[in-house]
Amino acid sequence: MKGLLIKDFKLMKGQKNFFLAIVAIALAMITLSPGTSFAIGFLGFVGSLFSLSSISYDEFDNGNAFLFSLPITRKEYVLEKYTFGVLCGIAFLFLGTLISFFSILITDKGNLREMFLTACTLLPVILLLLSIMLPFVLKFGGEKGRIAILGMMGFLFVAGILLTKIAEYMKIDFYPLVKRLSQIDPRVYILFFLFLAITALAVSCLVSQSILNKKEF
Amino acid sequence: MLKIEHLKKSYENFSLDCSLEVKRGHVTGLIGQNGAGKSTTFKAILGLISYEHGDITILGKPLAQFTAKDKQDLGVVLSDSGFSGYLTINDILPIMENLYKNFDKSFFLEQVEKFQLPCDKKIKDFSTGMKAKVKVLTAISHHAKLLILDEPTAGLDVIARDELLELLRDFMAKEEGNSILISSHISSDLESICDDLYMIHQGTIILHEDTDVLLSDYALLKVDDEAYARLDKQYLLRSKKESYGYSCLTDQKQYYAENYPQIAIEKGTIDEVITMMIRGAA
Repeated sequence: MKGLLIKDFKLMKGQKNFFLAIVAIALAMITLSPGTSFAIGFLGFVGSLFSLSSISYDEFDNGNAFLFSLPITRKEYVLEKYTFGVLCGIAFLFLGTLISFFSILITDKGNLREMFLTACTLLPVILLLLSIMLPFVLKFGGEKGRIAILGMMGFLFVAGILLTKIAEYMKIDFYPLVKRLSQIDPRVYILFFLFLAITALAVSCLVSQSILNKKEF
Repeated sequence: MLKIEHLKKSYENFSLDCSLEVKRGHVTGLIGQNGAGKSTTFKAILGLISYEHGDITILGKPLAQFTAKDKQDLGVVLSDSGFSGYLTINDILPIMENLYKNFDKSFFLEQVEKFQLPCDKKIKDFSTGMKAKVKVLTAISHHAKLLILDEPTAGLDVIARDELLELLRDFMAKEEGNSILISSHISSDLESICDDLYMIHQGTIILHEDTDVLLSDYALLKVDDEAYARLDKQYLLRSKKESYGYSCLTDQKQYYAENYPQIAIEKGTIDEVITMMIRGAA
């Protein structure tokens, strides 16, 4: 697995211009609206996408055929992609948090506690996104996988609207529930969502392994 | 080292039924036209595709039991696949070091220097010859026991092909018992390196012979209609109608040379043997 991780980090190194561009965008965001936490979410999400692009790199020029003739198993490959995604997600989230932290220190705008809570809330969201996106990309490939993810997002969006409409029609009011949630200690729901996201990631990893086991190269 | 028994794999317009064996210390060639089934056979050996029927035994183990650890003893070159073109040789080094416990870094770097391969340039920007050399170097730099090489010389000029074949000869000389399965559609490459050859056509092995025997005993007989009628046909493998009469492939050159001294007998080259095996009638 270490060899595969090195390969992905080396490939990532080749995308350093893209990396610098997103850091520049994050810095621009924070300069234009200091004290906000945009940079954390933005960098966290983009960072986790490196795992998806590494799958596209592997597929390019039928590279997978050679890759799977190396002394690795398909299971190891999947585990590596999840590890790489999580590492990149966390690293970029941390970078975003650091940028926000210094922005707050320098401009004296914003709130450190709020920033920290945002970063902690975004971590399970990133893990959840990875657990949804990776099986799609492994199943359909880099390009088609992204289309499939967009399709699924669209489906979830429509399903959400439908659910709201149904709730309205049935006169179910979610507001008290949301209000009650906001009263819970943030540490509790962050831990709860983290547990949920890790569980989703584990299930997703098993699904991905089964997808890859059926693939031919 | 490798044994394939009745390997069957079907696609919509193609089906493979292949049996072959690579013996310890041997270089075995698989020769055939593009689309004959060479790459499908290689992919099946490497577990990259599933197959419907047959048994593959590799380094003494059935393929199903051949683990990632066992793959340490394999060196692989695939014609249409390799390390990502976005990596450099400097990038490949730590990857190989971490994937192969016996990776011989100094040997690898020595060869890189010998072939003047740039270490900081992305592989995608290499010439075809350079790319092929990197592929072969990665396959032979970790003390593999068996090399599986699918078209390692494809698209190379004569000099580059010769350099690669030299690397393979060195690999065979390095350790007793090393073996190679190599495919190519360039017969002269295989002629110079292989101990035995399998010819594959439309997914089926149509001939297996020792290279020495192929080159010494196989011949093309060129006869007119009258001579063809009188010819003893029991040692003819294939015959083909020509404008002057018939060309016939035999594996008993000596017999015809002694008994029919008046007919034209040409030494069988691998290309001619393939052409006759495919186009001639049995």
